[in-house]
Amino acid sequence: MKASLVHSHAMTRTQRPFIKLFIAGLLAFAVVMIYLDARITSTFSEKRWELPAKVYARPLELFVGARLDADDLAYELSLLGYRKVRQATQPGQVGRAVGRFDIYTQGFDFPGEREPARRIKLSISGGKVAGLQSGGSGLDLLRLDPVQIGGIYPSHGEDRVLVRLKDLPETLWRGLLATEDQNFFSHWGFSITGIARAAFSNVRSGQVVAGGSTITQQLVKNYYLTPERTIVRKLTELLMAMLLELHYDKEEILESYVNEIYLGQQGPRAIHGFALAARHYFNTPVEQLGLHQQALLVGMIKGPSLYNPRRNPERAIQRRNVVLDLMAEQGVISAEHATIARAMPLGLNAAPSSVRDTFPAFLDLVRRQLREEYRQEDLATLGLNIFTSFDPLLQRQLENSTSTVLDSLDAGGELESASVVTRFDTGEVAALVGGRRVSYAGFNRALDARRPAGSLLKPAIYLAALEQPERYTLATPLSDTKVEVTGANGQVWEPRNFDRKEHGQVILHTALAKSYNLATARLGMNLGIDTVVDMLRRLGIRGPIPEVPALTLGAGEYSPVAMAVMYQAIAAGGYRMPLRSIRDIVDAQGEPLRRYVLAYDRTVSIQAVHLLHYAMREVVREGTGRGVYRYLPAQFAVAGKTGTTNDGRDSWFAGFSGDLLTVTWIGRDDNGSTGLTGSTGALKVWAHFMARSAQRSLGYRMPEGIETHWIDEPTGALTGKGCPNARMLPFVSGSQPVTRTGCAPQESRIKNWFQSLFGGDE
Amino acid sequence: MKHVCRSTTLEKLAKLAFAGAMLSLMAGCSIYSLPGSEPAPVEPDAQSAPSTSQPAQTPVTPTSPDVAPDPNANNAYGALLQQAEQARNKGDYERALTLLERAQRIDPDSGEVYLHLARTYQAKGDLTMQHATAERGLLYCNGSSECSALRALSR
Repeated sequence: MKASLVHSHAMTRTQRPFIKLFIAGLLAFAVVMIYLDARITSTFSEKRWELPAKVYARPLELFVGARLDADDLAYELSLLGYRKVRQATQPGQVGRAVGRFDIYTQGFDFPGEREPARRIKLSISGGKVAGLQSGGSGLDLLRLDPVQIGGIYPSHGEDRVLVRLKDLPETLWRGLLATEDQNFFSHWGFSITGIARAAFSNVRSGQVVAGGSTITQQLVKNYYLTPERTIVRKLTELLMAMLLELHYDKEEILESYVNEIYLGQQGPRAIHGFALAARHYFNTPVEQLGLHQQALLVGMIKGPSLYNPRRNPERAIQRRNVVLDLMAEQGVISAEHATIARAMPLGLNAAPSSVRDTFPAFLDLVRRQLREEYRQEDLATLGLNIFTSFDPLLQRQLENSTSTVLDSLDAGGELESASVVTRFDTGEVAALVGGRRVSYAGFNRALDARRPAGSLLKPAIYLAALEQPERYTLATPLSDTKVEVTGANGQVWEPRNFDRKEHGQVILHTALAKSYNLATARLGMNLGIDTVVDMLRRLGIRGPIPEVPALTLGAGEYSPVAMAVMYQAIAAGGYRMPLRSIRDIVDAQGEPLRRYVLAYDRTVSIQAVHLLHYAMREVVREGTGRGVYRYLPAQFAVAGKTGTTNDGRDSWFAGFSGDLLTVTWIGRDDNGSTGLTGSTGALKVWAHFMARSAQRSLGYRMPEGIETHWIDEPTGALTGKGCPNARMLPFVSGSQPVTRTGCAPQESRIKNWFQSLFGGDE
Repeated sequence: MKHVCRSTTLEKLAKLAFAGAMLSLMAGCSIYSLPGSEPAPVEPDAQSAPSTSQPAQTPVTPTSPDVAPDPNANNAYGALLQQAEQARNKGDYERALTLLERAQRIDPDSGEVYLHLARTYQAKGDLTMQHATAERGLLYCNGSSECSALRALSR
């Protein structure tokens, strides 16, 4: 009894270290398991739906009478991934016969409103929508889905389009299981045979090479683990896979997998998930992929780079056919279907999908606006939907005009250019070019170039003058004669005219139209530099403005966007408004988060702006901007201003039609001479673009308190209609000249551009 | 083989489209469909051109400077105005403004849309925007009742 007691005592003593070790091991294992479990449960749901913000263009509004080119509509539809078919029978398809479109729209959840998917018949003739029908009856208004122009990605660059399992073609996910994990629905997260096979080949090769991973393991690996191949990592993967299976059902795991799987790279952007890959490789919604395309995507999982269909088409086809065979073997598809699919070409879209970095300059603008209010992390993960004012059709034309004109000006490629296009009645930026290489996300000159503005600033000086109708009218004589100003530092500023001549007495409107420097410098000095600065501020110019006499001729540093702000206020009739690029932000659940409201405040007299419009119309009819009518139809009214800086370093043009404001700059990054003036350079890009994109002529709308009078040109005195040198000018009521020529009104049939604006007799 | 088929169809389409474009050109109904044979963009430097002030008489005969509002634009956004009015009456000004801004994008030259905007800002109590929209609307108003309503709201 005692002996056995001693014996057992001795035994416990000898075994204790092992038990301790065992218990410690068990505890450690439990801790690890708890840790892994916590990691999975706390982050799996989030990770599943971690989404970059999507940035959308404006939706195209379709209605009878809408100005739209058939080719532009076709381009918009191609950006949206609509597939060309004979007859549209499914969402996302379009049939076209010249100007007749048969479109099955994809529908879209707009902020606060759903636009349903529907089949429409639309006809375009003469650049306008002539007919719009749905279900046999007329349709008043329809929004196409908006083009996604980019996203805000996390630093690792992952992008995806989420898809629900139930929306995937069944053959796609069953094909995936047939290829990657045949026992998916019966295993516990790992496959004994798979591991055994992998272990065997690992032992044989002496290192860890093969995976033998189930779908669950692959998912765990992608979500949580680093890619190195070690035994510990493999064990962790195994444990986590089992835990994942404990917590989530098969459908949830599979759904996560199809959204997570890595399928290729486009620059810095990683293509994840079948839905995005479908758009990327085939420009087709994943729901509509053909069998051959589904099999290709499934096959690529094994090696997205090795089986990249663009780089290695032969290998990709072989791999795809292996998958098709597997699918037929496993009964996912019939042998006949497999044979047909094997005979198909790869079916890729011609160019990589248009998302990301196709419109880097505009996205840059959007990002900057977003960063003022959102954390980068939120932008990259919360799945926000950002609706912008971007217009892909205007952008395409702007890019086209930029490259066409620049290639004709300078084949050497040293010139750079930037342009901003806004819809000035709302202040929304519609298109933006930040450099000659439009799809290159580099230095964004539209936002970041800092250049003297030259004569582009002159309208601000004339506006400041015209705001004092008791002192200045369009008919006020100015002196365009030599002027010298001695600055505070003793330096003498002595501006010259472009033609190096003095023009003597000139009328105010002519001085602006012909961009006379001496008259403008004198006018600015008489007004006072502080008055000029004040006007620039009221027109929305921020940042430093040099308070020197040379400001009257555009000294300082201004970006094209800053000039757009200033001209925007002028075009809008004296309302200052911030440039907007974002309309709405909606969260991942479709709840509106933020609406960017339209806000403007009057900062300049509407009458003074009206008079300035006259002079800026004259610029393009008779002055330095006449070149625009080599591009525009003669009856199409616009207003604008040229700008040239010393030695032709900068060539500017800013101007507007009835709908669009465009500012264009041409120069060199090294600030060298371009040999261009505003009218031989930037004007051409501007006019080339406006001739093709502006839809509304600049209407003549006289505000209250304005009246027109006949003025004798050289003297600025009142005269009669039809008298020699008579010109009709608008005046703030009561500010017209008092002196008269004494010439009585006469019959005259000749009308100049300004009279033509009134149509009938005046 | 497939590629060949596609390109010929495309060619046909392109030819048809070109023919259509030429037809519409002849009809002269669009201001911005320019002739294919646009003059080469050569331009005398206007700044160095002789500066004798000649009132360049632009020989334009039929003037349609201000392109008439599209006849059907009103149909297009009429429903939006109605919905906006309902939203405004319910006090949902944000929705009303969203709808009106959409209407304005469809027809930026509509005094009617400006009037709706000004009334909505008035109901919302945003005096600055009420004045601003009414004043801008005055430039576009049509008919005395619309204009006087806008004038009242602009003050």
